[in-house]
Amino acid sequence: MKHLNDQELMSIVQAGDFAPASELYDRYSSRIYNFAYRFLRNSEAAEDATQEVFVKMLKHANQFHGGAKLSTWLFSITANHCRDYLRKSENKSKEGEDVLATLPASAELSPERHMERREDEKLIQKALGLLSHDQREAIVLSRYQGLSYAEIAQIAGCSEGAVKTRVFRAMEVLRKALTGDSRGGDRCLTAMP
Amino acid sequence: MFDCDAMRENMPLLLTESLDPVQREQTHQHIETCPICVAEWSAYKETWLILDKLPEVAVPPRVKQRFLAEISPAMAQAMAQTNVVPFRRGRTMRWLAQAAAVVIVGSSAFYAGHRIAPRTQLIPTQAQVTAIQPATPYYSIAESRVLPAASISPQIEGRPDIQNVQFSDASPLNQQIGVSFDITSHVTVTGRPTDKSMVRLLRYVLENEDRESPSRSRAIDWVRATYANVGNPDPEITEALANVLRNDQHQGVRIKAADTLQSMQSAMTDGTRDALVEALKNDPNPAVRLKAVEALAKLARSGVALDPDMVDTLRRKASQNDENVYVRVKAAEALSSIQPR
Ligand SMILES: [Zn+2]
Repeated sequence: MKHLNDQELMSIVQAGDFAPASELYDRYSSRIYNFAYRFLRNSEAAEDATQEVFVKMLKHANQFHGGAKLSTWLFSITANHCRDYLRKSENKSKEGEDVLATLPASAELSPERHMERREDEKLIQKALGLLSHDQREAIVLSRYQGLSYAEIAQIAGCSEGAVKTRVFRAMEVLRKALTGDSRGGDRCLTAMP
Repeated sequence: MFDCDAMRENMPLLLTESLDPVQREQTHQHIETCPICVAEWSAYKETWLILDKLPEVAVPPRVKQRFLAEISPAMAQAMAQTNVVPFRRGRTMRWLAQAAAVVIVGSSAFYAGHRIAPRTQLIPTQAQVTAIQPATPYYSIAESRVLPAASISPQIEGRPDIQNVQFSDASPLNQQIGVSFDITSHVTVTGRPTDKSMVRLLRYVLENEDRESPSRSRAIDWVRATYANVGNPDPEITEALANVLRNDQHQGVRIKAADTLQSMQSAMTDGTRDALVEALKNDPNPAVRLKAVEALAKLARSGVALDPDMVDTLRRKASQNDENVYVRVKAAEALSSIQPR
């Protein structure tokens, strides 16, 4: 399976054979999971999302067309799932409740450095929580998944111009939250460590 | 000459180096000459760098296991044919793995001509049994297997996620009933209604708390029809119905459970009688309370000695002003038919 490209693997799935499922999962699960985790800010929900996305990939394989990148298509499914989840969970006001509950500890760090890093992570996750869903989706796909605005527009179902505005607005909010910086030119910049 | 806001919208693109050369040049030139934007630009760069401190997270391996467990042959076939809803998350399947192992060993002839033949003769020890599952993700098109109830353990291990449960009525030839479901493959268990494994399986189907399953109501109907003709139903069946009466969230299902218990008097245990009393006392739905009191009234008429708690509950219900009038009448009726001791 490893020597086949995404397109070839998907045509096998489209023919009704799920044999490539494992290989496709290995190729994309990390990106999907990390996107979902940052978008949802909840590890358990991100796990469910990842599983769901790959099941949908098989179930709706026929909706995947050769012209598109598989990653873009998978991100679209993930984004839809996450938006639905957030809409539902907002009613229950559960979003982000267990943020960082299960972030893995890196073994090579000293306890102090580890604490520090956890603090950073917490701060960033919290800042991401200040964004609207649209903004968070856009900034996560841009900053962490390295997607172009054109791809993000396709995934979010909006124009490139809208993506540009969303990322910009997101950056404004994040800047304030992460650098203690307020709008305007006359402000002190905190130096980066 | 350029609008500062437009320049700032370009800043994230500058960071990802995705502006076209002309725009990039314009934006850089503006930043260099505009004191406000130069400050903004450093703040953006700083923010962008800070965001880097959120590390990539490894996907827990259980996610892949769960995903692969969902791809059962039944799902593959169903998806090839229709757009059915995929299975919910898989749970432990050791019980079925065990069942499969038993069949493989017990009757290898069963597999003659079967599409997936066992590669080796498996001995159903615990180690072998658990090894079957991850080693054999069934990717391809569905196969169906039929397991005699006698060949599977009456002990259902864990909480296997069985789906799409179907029942077949007793065959006129051999009085065998059948319960089919999807687990890792489509499985049909056949046996007599009195076989312990069959009883346990039905109990499991009845008590399985999967709320999305619409099959429980159907399961109760079928259990009722099937066991109407069985002289002495296994008390485990009534225990299962009692648990449904206690726990099911849907009033329609609880009504059915109470009603079915009424028709299975001979198999009632203390536990099932308690469940009826509890339902009469506490169920929020008057129709469920009515079914419960009817079952107790029938029990009283049959001459079974009722325990004091039961009599007490009937008495209180008969005189409780805010209780549904039918429930009160039935409670009074039950009291009047209690045999003097
Ligand atoms: Zn400017």
